Amino acid sequence: MALHTGLTGPFPRPEPLVQATRDLDRGRTTPDAVDELFDRTEREVLALEQRLGFDLVTGGYLRWADLFRPFAETWTGFTVGPVTRWFETNTFYRQPILHAPPERVPGAIRDRLPAAARAHGARRTKVILPGPYTFAGMLDNRSGETREGLTHRLGRLLAEEVKDLAHDGHAVFQFQEPLLVVDPPQGAAAEAVLAAYRSITGGSVSATTIVWTYFADALPAFPVLGRLPVTAIGVDLAETDPSDLAKLPDRRPLGLGCLDPRTSLVEDAADVAAIVRSVRERIHPPSLWLGPGGPLDLLPYEAATRKLHVLPATRQALGEENA
Amino acid sequence: MSALPLFPTQEIGSLAKPRWQLLGQRGEPWDEAARAEFDEWDRRVGFAPEGPTVTSLRNGRSREVGPGAVRDLGALFGIRYFERAGLDRVYDGEARRVEMYEYPIRQMEGFEFLGHVRSFDNKYYLKAAGTGEIRLARPYHVEEFDFVRSHTDRIPKLPVTGPYTLADWSYNEYYLGRRPGWKSRKVRRDAQREFVVELARRALRPTLEALIARGCRVIQIDESAAGTHPDEADLVAEGFNAATEGLDAEFSMHICFSDYRSLFPALLEAKRCKQWAWEFANRDTEGRDGYQILEMFKEYGDTREIGLGVLDVHRDDIETPQKVAERIGRAAKILGDPSRIWVNPDCGLRTRKLSVAYQKLTNMVEGAKIARAEWAGRSSA
Repeated sequence: MALHTGLTGPFPRPEPLVQATRDLDRGRTTPDAVDELFDRTEREVLALEQRLGFDLVTGGYLRWADLFRPFAETWTGFTVGPVTRWFETNTFYRQPILHAPPERVPGAIRDRLPAAARAHGARRTKVILPGPYTFAGMLDNRSGETREGLTHRLGRLLAEEVKDLAHDGHAVFQFQEPLLVVDPPQGAAAEAVLAAYRSITGGSVSATTIVWTYFADALPAFPVLGRLPVTAIGVDLAETDPSDLAKLPDRRPLGLGCLDPRTSLVEDAADVAAIVRSVRERIHPPSLWLGPGGPLDLLPYEAATRKLHVLPATRQALGEENA
Repeated sequence: MSALPLFPTQEIGSLAKPRWQLLGQRGEPWDEAARAEFDEWDRRVGFAPEGPTVTSLRNGRSREVGPGAVRDLGALFGIRYFERAGLDRVYDGEARRVEMYEYPIRQMEGFEFLGHVRSFDNKYYLKAAGTGEIRLARPYHVEEFDFVRSHTDRIPKLPVTGPYTLADWSYNEYYLGRRPGWKSRKVRRDAQREFVVELARRALRPTLEALIARGCRVIQIDESAAGTHPDEADLVAEGFNAATEGLDAEFSMHICFSDYRSLFPALLEAKRCKQWAWEFANRDTEGRDGYQILEMFKEYGDTREIGLGVLDVHRDDIETPQKVAERIGRAAKILGDPSRIWVNPDCGLRTRKLSVAYQKLTNMVEGAKIARAEWAGRSSA
């Protein structure tokens, strides 16, 4: 059974980049200097991912101000709205305001992907995108379209994005869907989510698609998660009891979020390995994706880096080589 | 101090730092803007007695004055600013504080700062981990309180960050790490409870005791994080109780920008809380009554005082005295007892220019007077 390891979301900015971006806001440095530092730091994160033996790299998505900003800034129909709390965290995002049905601008998102990862080769990178349900639910929808309609529409737009990126060689796409477990959809809302993902995965594009959930127990969302036409489902094991994974209605590759981004306390690789063994023995998923429960940008850079080392240590504890 | 009127007024927290103070603290000479700002506010609120400090600052010798004396002057400005606006309870606008987390944590042992976490965009905050037993190095805010008390004849109300917020804004390594095995939700929650209560007992409580020993009678415990995890409202209350139980002072709890409904009824277990100082005006918009949430207190039979937010601290629009009076009246009708109401801004006014904040505050005081007259008319009718 294959065991993949890797990041599951944006990585924190290291202290020099924190200082540089602050300085930029205060007019004490130039955009070019900060841009160069972003490039260099992305390469460092990518090198870290490689050193840790991750199957796919991301480059850390350090430039992304939040999960939706590249879309709110480039797709039509949006403006960037007020600072809004990001779930139950002490971090915030600028809520996109949707004034009219959105339209994508071809190439705009590709240009926002971490340059280092693009340079590394599309085949060896994982593209991280907002999931349509979370995207639709977290914006301020003034477009007149229902939330269900919007979820489906965003799914279609993301499908076009996936198609274009797949054309560039990208083969693995992860959709961030915390809202799927924080506020599990039911009825028409659930059908809209399924329709959105059918749009994403139902075309001629052959890609690995992962829906990653975090910030809440996934169990109440299992009925809809189990129906999603995607390759793998990821859950945050700080919130979801691993023994509940047996209640998922089908057997497919699973993502196990085994590093808790809300605490700097580093997990014990033996504890993580025990969970992996237990999941394998009880559920027999075809493969496992092991990573942080959610984006590690709730931690400072060094603390997040310490946590990542648990992944190869877990692999070692399991006595496995890279998948 | 004279007897308090109906609908007494109070501040809630911080003010924007004047430019002259920021430059002075950094040892930089004043520029024209700083000088003009200083003169204008001295004229309006009369806070700067002529003397060597002011003379040196005026003459560009900030470094000679030193940051301590500049902060003293900043605190004096804050006190006079609130006094001249007409408030019954005042403080110093948190003139000596930069923020509400790092400073208290730095007064404790058992914490280690790990680095910056992004709040949003290019804004970050420094975050610490609790890595050992908490020990208070020395009670904090004490000199600050002494200064305020000795410079006003109004009631000083001291704001202090609450134990739940300090815990929530930190990582909990020590109490979590003492629990072996996988850290499930239940394990994390138990560890967080211990963290909150230990912070309350070992750090906040001795600080409160020291403040009370110096004469501090009114203390506002800021629990900004209370709304972050609604299912932890019981921990907010437990921390509050552990910090305040048996102490001889009036305690209020300030919580802003939260879904207050989710805090009921667990939060009401904060037994020593005499006043809930919450934000209401921010959500009192066209088509939405921001004061309806007060019905929840009736529903749960809670008859404590309300620190009624009547000024939206996120907008430059200045509430008229009539709007303030109308808001007070609406709240008093819902509560059924006007004597429970203290009138204040939703939160600290630091996000607004000093001129805007001052106009808001003076209108708030005028609005309270209008409401007072209206209610006096009713009771005598």
